[in-house]
Amino acid sequence: MPRNRRTFLTGAGAAGLAGLAGCVGGFGDDGGDSEARIGMVYATGGLGDNSFNDMAQQGLLDAEDDFDIAFDEREPETEGEFTGAQRDFAESGDYDLVSCIGFAQLDALEENADAYPEQDFIIIDEVLEVDNVRSYIFGEPEGSFQVGHLAGLLTDMEFAAAESETNPDANTVGFVGGVESPLIESFEAGFKAGVEYANEDAEVVTSYVGDFNDTAGGQEAALSMYQDQDADIVFHAAGRTGVGVLQAAQSEGRFAIGVDADQSLTEPDYADVILASMVKQVDTAVYSAVESVVNDEFEGGETERLGLEEEGVRAVYGDTIGDEIPDDVKGALDESRQAIIDGEIDVPQEL
Amino acid sequence: MRDRVERLLERLVRASAVERIAVSVAALFASILVGAVLVFVSGGFASCRTGLELAGWTFCYNPVQVYYELFLGAMGHPLQGGWSPMNYSLATTLQQTTLLIFTGLSVAVAFRAGLFNIGTQGQLVVGGLATAVSVVYAAAIVPGGLVGTIVLIPIGVLVGAIFGGLFGAIPGALKAYADANEVITTIMLNFVAVGVTSTLLSWQFQDPNSSNPQTQPVPEYAEIPTIPYVGFGGRMDFSLLAFAFAVALMVGVAWLLARTSFGYELRTSGVQPEAAAYGGVDDKRMVVSSMTLSGALGGIGGAFWVLMVHGRWLENVPELGFDGIAVSILAGNNPLGVGAAAFLFGILQSGSRSIGTATDVPPELVGVLSGLIILFVAMPEFFRMIGSRYVGVERERPARADGGEAGSDDGGDADA
Repeated sequence: MPRNRRTFLTGAGAAGLAGLAGCVGGFGDDGGDSEARIGMVYATGGLGDNSFNDMAQQGLLDAEDDFDIAFDEREPETEGEFTGAQRDFAESGDYDLVSCIGFAQLDALEENADAYPEQDFIIIDEVLEVDNVRSYIFGEPEGSFQVGHLAGLLTDMEFAAAESETNPDANTVGFVGGVESPLIESFEAGFKAGVEYANEDAEVVTSYVGDFNDTAGGQEAALSMYQDQDADIVFHAAGRTGVGVLQAAQSEGRFAIGVDADQSLTEPDYADVILASMVKQVDTAVYSAVESVVNDEFEGGETERLGLEEEGVRAVYGDTIGDEIPDDVKGALDESRQAIIDGEIDVPQEL
Repeated sequence: MRDRVERLLERLVRASAVERIAVSVAALFASILVGAVLVFVSGGFASCRTGLELAGWTFCYNPVQVYYELFLGAMGHPLQGGWSPMNYSLATTLQQTTLLIFTGLSVAVAFRAGLFNIGTQGQLVVGGLATAVSVVYAAAIVPGGLVGTIVLIPIGVLVGAIFGGLFGAIPGALKAYADANEVITTIMLNFVAVGVTSTLLSWQFQDPNSSNPQTQPVPEYAEIPTIPYVGFGGRMDFSLLAFAFAVALMVGVAWLLARTSFGYELRTSGVQPEAAAYGGVDDKRMVVSSMTLSGALGGIGGAFWVLMVHGRWLENVPELGFDGIAVSILAGNNPLGVGAAAFLFGILQSGSRSIGTATDVPPELVGVLSGLIILFVAMPEFFRMIGSRYVGVERERPARADGGEAGSDDGGDADA
């Protein structure tokens, strides 16, 4: 026994030393020889939210298919971690682009863009006018106006699809927001305007959960809208919190409207309650930023606004029940879309 | 069988300081060995472009590289060219170390007094907000520049300590005068702290220029200054002065526990409350004052989090207080051990980030590796704690006439 142990130890020691000497550099190393290296810092909801962050990642993955890039990702859990996460990438100096996903990263980026003038950044959903930052913003109010228009038209009708139905007795629709902030309020403003445009008698009830990551909170907020306030369609702009809204719609036999991604595809379990989604092509923004870096055409200090016309935002009907929405409703939506693009409808940008 | 276990426990309990350190180091290596196997095997299930081909499998992760990044990456790769000791990774490591020393001490002091303070997190949250608010408001009347630095930082730290202390005194008073279990009250007060501070924030102190839930920033001169030329750069959110303060505080607490009559009374209350009361210690006052001291240390942690890291208070406070519990247990509730344990936590945190940038290993797996290290290193200490009860009771041993000294030399005998 003792001899065995000694042999083992000697063997293990030799193997260990050989291993140490052999390959600290590592196999399975992600490509240092790629054309571009991207650092992604996601918003606090994290990956797997099936909306905002996953859309951003989709853009990155699309770019990976088309170009020779390598990337690293960070999913901060709180706002306090943004500074460190961005700085990790910037400090290493190995990254051609650091993508800051979400408006909450503005404060951290303000500090870091200044501290690392050589590093290129992009920020989504906020504007920072600094030479090494390119900003991407979306026409959320216009997109929300579209789904508001849809909700306003349907709440008044007798409409049933799959297991769900509207409540024609009450003209109430709901809005659930993640965190009370100018960006999320602009969703609400556009949604309200759209509902009013469709139906002057309709009422919009709103609730802010205070978190993008609180599914149970989203469910409670939506349940009280469906049960106590007679709402039949609820639109959410709440990241993963919004999954709770979809759950509530399903359990109450009502409808919901998704956000950021086509949630009837990303959340197939709830596809039978999702009328439409206000899709925000965050993936397009990320993709085009990566493309510009790969082609050495990155231009900082500029703001790109992706609205209805650029198809940066649009209402996408649900994959399962979208077909059952009456054609005249869809026609009305097409008209209002064109009217917004032509400037005939003025969509409020804030509450 | 039972004999063997008892003998083992006894050996652990009676281990000398050197033996205990040796056990910890051995445990560290054992955890690395287990973790390395885990990493290597998980690499077989991951997909990657290039990997080690072995018997038809592709292994994606190199355990040697992972541990290299975990430990040396946390120092900024000292074995590679162009290394400077003032690098960002080391700053992150020491920043975490500094903050965890405060929270670890907070938990350790309460533990030594026989109290489980799970509420360090809440005390840190409250103290941090008090610091940020007081410094922002005081900055309006105090002149800027060097004078501002000298006046505002002590004010901020003091206010943080006072509010953290008051918040810690609440469960202490509840325990002493209403016999409420401090584990439950401190856990619940953590939620109270979060609720109250976030209400106060949205009611009065929210920074109007930001959409994130946070207070206004303190003026730049009120952040903990870095030492020019020799210290870490300003953008690294770490100051050697803060680290020095933390170490000094650590030594101070160790001295307080080991060499003062207050410390002696505190420790005896922890080991044997009845005996302490018999010996003339006012046990109710002792409970309140040790919880106040514990809370004040947590509050100082909050103050440094505000003044060193962010320059403002943010609503989502990282879980430094809860990590402090682990730090304290790892250190066997010995104030000086807290420094070493906090440094280990700092390395694990900074090294995890380094693994994230240098390898494809997912952060969840890195979390498992850190957890393994903590588990392995803490287990012998944990068994010592349990063992010290059994061995003491079941074995007839000559009574230790010199109990006081035994507690003060390495501090291990008075755990919880």
